[in-house]
Amino acid sequence: MPTELQSGPRSGAAIAVRDLQVAYGGTRVLHGVSLDFAPGSFTALLGSSGCGKTTLLRSLSGFVPVESGSIVVGGKDVAGLPPEKRGMAMVFQSYALWPHMTVLQNIGYGLKLRGKSKAEIAAKVAQMLSFLGLAGYEDRKVTALSGGQRQRVALGRALAIDPGILLLDEPLSNLDAKIRMTMRHEIRAIQQRLGLLAIHVTHDREEAMTMADRLVIMQAGRIAQIGTPEEVYDRPASAFVANFMGAENVLPLNIERGEGRASVTAGGTQATLAGEAAAALPAGEALAYFRDDVARLGAPDAAAAGGDLVVPGTIAARAYPGGTYRYKVAAAGREITVDDADRHELGTTIGLRIPLQRLHIFPASEAGIAA
Amino acid sequence: MSLSQRHLALLLIAPGLILVAALFLYPLGFSLVSAFTRPDGSLTLEWFAKAFELYSTDIVFTIVIVLTSCALTAIAAIAIAGTLTLGENRYIVGTLKALYRWPLFIPFIVAAQCMRTFLAKNGLMNNTFVSMGLIEPLQAVSFLDWRGIIATFVWKQTPFVALLLAGALASIDRATLEAGRSLGASRLRVMFELALPQVMPTLLVALVLSFVTMLSVLSVPMMVSGSQPTMLTVDMAFRINAYGDYATANALGVITYLISAGAAILYLKRGMSQEAPR
Repeated sequence: MPTELQSGPRSGAAIAVRDLQVAYGGTRVLHGVSLDFAPGSFTALLGSSGCGKTTLLRSLSGFVPVESGSIVVGGKDVAGLPPEKRGMAMVFQSYALWPHMTVLQNIGYGLKLRGKSKAEIAAKVAQMLSFLGLAGYEDRKVTALSGGQRQRVALGRALAIDPGILLLDEPLSNLDAKIRMTMRHEIRAIQQRLGLLAIHVTHDREEAMTMADRLVIMQAGRIAQIGTPEEVYDRPASAFVANFMGAENVLPLNIERGEGRASVTAGGTQATLAGEAAAALPAGEALAYFRDDVARLGAPDAAAAGGDLVVPGTIAARAYPGGTYRYKVAAAGREITVDDADRHELGTTIGLRIPLQRLHIFPASEAGIAA
Repeated sequence: MSLSQRHLALLLIAPGLILVAALFLYPLGFSLVSAFTRPDGSLTLEWFAKAFELYSTDIVFTIVIVLTSCALTAIAAIAIAGTLTLGENRYIVGTLKALYRWPLFIPFIVAAQCMRTFLAKNGLMNNTFVSMGLIEPLQAVSFLDWRGIIATFVWKQTPFVALLLAGALASIDRATLEAGRSLGASRLRVMFELALPQVMPTLLVALVLSFVTMLSVLSVPMMVSGSQPTMLTVDMAFRINAYGDYATANALGVITYLISAGAAILYLKRGMSQEAPR
């Protein structure tokens, strides 16, 4: 981005959402969501389809009527106000540019609504375009722009009115992979430079992790976990979050707690944990969630080193996505995906070495849904 | 496609083609020729001179009536389609949605008859006003003149234009309207500055079709307004029924063709200028 935008960090307003309930024709979509957004923060709302993340964003922006609860922006409840009175700018997945207008008219529209003169609008749009790396594009038809350029114009249109709050509704989903990577960094850089409160809805885990400083994981109209990307990734609060954050392998365990130690049994093998790690484990039937890169393949009769389970299994399938091989291993009555650098033949009996420390373990009774 | 299949295809469309040729192309060509020829076959503009001499007021009257009706139809249709698209009160939107299409299914002649009973001096409208105490019985005037024709045309054509317009509005990306509102535009501004320009071609098609339809209606001017001036369709019927004067009637027909061709050219020109920069 070649030039700086002159207006410095804005003293953006904070948003406080309290007990927000939203229903579509009798079907409750949000079940009492409460959430705070600090000025200048970048929050990603993450969840699978139908979890309510888009509904939450659209009720913040005023496009979905709120059944009950409050949305307080800068000390004022805006839940009953129409979208045009909320002072939040939104960027849409489909860019939502106006095809009958030029780039200048698109970006300048919000300024025109605010009664700015033509000269003021032209100056601000020129500044915005140069900020977005599109200098000189004023008179282009938006239909003649590429996807990435269109989304930049849409971003410029939202930013031109100097909003304190920027709402991003899957703005990168329609872009191809390479431009998506660039735009992630650009949007993040702009948000930080302008000190905006940004709320980003996405179903792309990596996008949320790389852009946001806080993730809100949603599940069936409720908040499943709030935390920094590291917290949510490394310490998921529930089986659902673990599973959603990529720990898709599930291994049934039986845990017996002793004094200061816990004995973990899976697929006929046993390992022991001691100390704090052991104290955190639930007792009885449990399910362990882990990512593809956690387990290693070794000899079936290898000795279980401290804290590692070695579960016997058979290679059921092999693929080569690049770098390492990806195996499906039948073990402990489950099919487990493992990335391993060595090539193994199908049908080979191997030992699946799983470090207990890297498992996300939840009591079977709680984890049942995601298993 | 083999030759036999081509013959088969021609055979299949032949009945339709023959019907169009016999019932439309032949009479059209015949009336065109008869507008420019004397009974002995020599070329002449005599019938046009006569048409202009007798009916120049009616030509202007027809154009003004149809253009005014189109303008009012456009306003009413935009109001209805706009409410259907951007309305937030679901009871109003639901009622409007259920009601607005009804006049589509009523023929012009029935619409004209309805308007006669509604707009007459002692018709339903004036009687209602009198019973509500809004006007004195002596103040009641008949609207069965140019105003009645316009009212009937607008009432009959609005649902058609609104139907096409609402369909077009429903198919544009909803986010383009929401983007305007999130930037601070009221619903009225969103409608006129963001939604309507995107569906302008559809509105124009609907209005051109309405223009041509209104131009060709005989029953409405005949029933609603018996007085002079009147529309060209009535004049044509009169030339034929009263005098058997097909030549002048055909000349008036050619003038009507030219007026509707004017609307079509305006439409095509706009369509082309919009296509060009893309």
